Amino acid sequence: MNVQNLTKKYDGKAVVDTVSFEIPKGKVTSLIGPNGAGKSTVMGMISRLIAKDAGLINFEDKDISKWKSKELAKRLAILTQHNNIQMKLTVKELVAFGRFPYSGSRLNQEDYDIIDQAIAYMELEEFRDRFIDELSGGQRQRAYIAMAIAQDTEYLLLDEPTNNLDIYHATNMMKTVRRLCDELGKTVVLVLHEINYAAFYSDYICAFLDGKIAKFGTVDEVITKETLSEVYKVDFEIMEIAGKPLTIYY
Amino acid sequence: MKNAAYKKNLRKLMILAILMLAAAALYMLWNVNFTNPKFLKYSLSLRFPKMCTMLIAAFAIGAASIVFQSIINNTIVTPCLLGMNSLYTLLHTVVYFFLGSASFLATNANAAFVVDLVLMIVVATIIYGYFFKKTNYNILYVLLIGTVLTSFFGSIQSTLVRVMDPNEYESLLVTLVASFDQVNAEIIILCVILLGVLAFVLRKDLALLDVITLGKEQAINLGVDYDRCIRRLLIGVTACIAIATAMVGPISFLGLIIANLGRQIMKTYRHSHLIIGSSLFGMIALVGGQLLVEHVFNYSVPVSTFITLSGGIYFLFLLLRQKKG
Repeated sequence: MNVQNLTKKYDGKAVVDTVSFEIPKGKVTSLIGPNGAGKSTVMGMISRLIAKDAGLINFEDKDISKWKSKELAKRLAILTQHNNIQMKLTVKELVAFGRFPYSGSRLNQEDYDIIDQAIAYMELEEFRDRFIDELSGGQRQRAYIAMAIAQDTEYLLLDEPTNNLDIYHATNMMKTVRRLCDELGKTVVLVLHEINYAAFYSDYICAFLDGKIAKFGTVDEVITKETLSEVYKVDFEIMEIAGKPLTIYY
Repeated sequence: MKNAAYKKNLRKLMILAILMLAAAALYMLWNVNFTNPKFLKYSLSLRFPKMCTMLIAAFAIGAASIVFQSIINNTIVTPCLLGMNSLYTLLHTVVYFFLGSASFLATNANAAFVVDLVLMIVVATIIYGYFFKKTNYNILYVLLIGTVLTSFFGSIQSTLVRVMDPNEYESLLVTLVASFDQVNAEIIILCVILLGVLAFVLRKDLALLDVITLGKEQAINLGVDYDRCIRRLLIGVTACIAIATAMVGPISFLGLIIANLGRQIMKTYRHSHLIIGSSLFGMIALVGGQLLVEHVFNYSVPVSTFITLSGGIYFLFLLLRQKKG
């Protein structure tokens, strides 16, 4: 997936300003940056939830707006922060929705197998018949990931997946992201606020500042004192733990 | 997913259907003179169209309410909020005010029905189609506009009523209260055809409803053309309400009760089950209510009194329960 000169304006003010980058296939890429830097808006545009004002998004060598929504749904799964369901829905039923782009509401045996695998992969077997609104935040997040797995897409876009999760669940979430990439070969793009999660679990990082890309590169290229101080306007110290750069800020 | 919950729901639907049939049979046969075939035929010919009307109205309102609630993603709204009831009230008042109670439109039920229906659908499509596009498909604006229009129509209507001839008002009032007494066979057939066409045109969008309740983002993620689907369904909802209202008068408050009863009993996300369940509840409520009106209260109270009374209590119950949970 590559993006050229992507622009979004609200009331004449550009929140995303001629942004161009290419998302490496089969890798984990994190979008970081301060509030209002435009990372979530970029995410919204590449996941077709927000209309772009200018620019081009090429997905598999074809303009994303020329894709049929249903075809796109088989290649690109999106998970946003806003997931409130009024319906009485069990985990199994939610995960089953992941098969909607393939089979509509009439699922076949293959779909059921994939649903079971997705539930097992996220270790949700004991919750499969529980209602979504009776789960904790971490369990619910896992159920949504299981749905995205059942959707069986090459790309997975996650908008702040660690939001509202405690350290335990957030860390597990990031480990899952890593496994999805390493074991299932998915291309994962995520918006993150925690720089250390981004540094530890991603392959590439894209740092945004004022609607533009401040720096896009491998973790080691982006997680430097200079870049981070420029982007976040606070002092940083970089340490190395387990071969990964980790940051301390105060 | 033919699991236990699915089968349980099917069983609940069967029970509801049996109850509905029992109520219908009771309504048809209560106090009928079986000894004389002429009397029998006469009372059946009186009761049958009334019962058909109730069943159709219950279906239209039940389906419209469930679909509307799922679109808005809120279970304590009713399509009343779209202002169709006040539009109906206003249209009738205008006819009586300018043309008089002796006019063709006021005396001919078929003509009145067709005019009501066409006007309501046209106005609703223009207003909601236009505003929907204008507000970027924001459903909350549509609700707000509906509420504003309701009081707008209501104010015009009450102004007209204030300067109206009291005798005219007397005859107007009869048409503004929901009742099943003045429905002709032709209208019933027309309604069935219209609802059938509507269900056929919207069958694909209805199948997407289950996904739409996951929220806009998830629906788009799963490949649904969200805006188009919502627009079509909303027009379908207004058409359904228009049909029910034109047929029996303002009664869509019923929708709130039956849609919530349906959801409470069925506990499922499947809209096919929810719609059928709510419709069956509506049929039982209307037929049962009419039984009470005819045989217990001897027509001294209209059925809408029961609906509004029990609806109000149920609504309070829903609000209180939501607060607790």
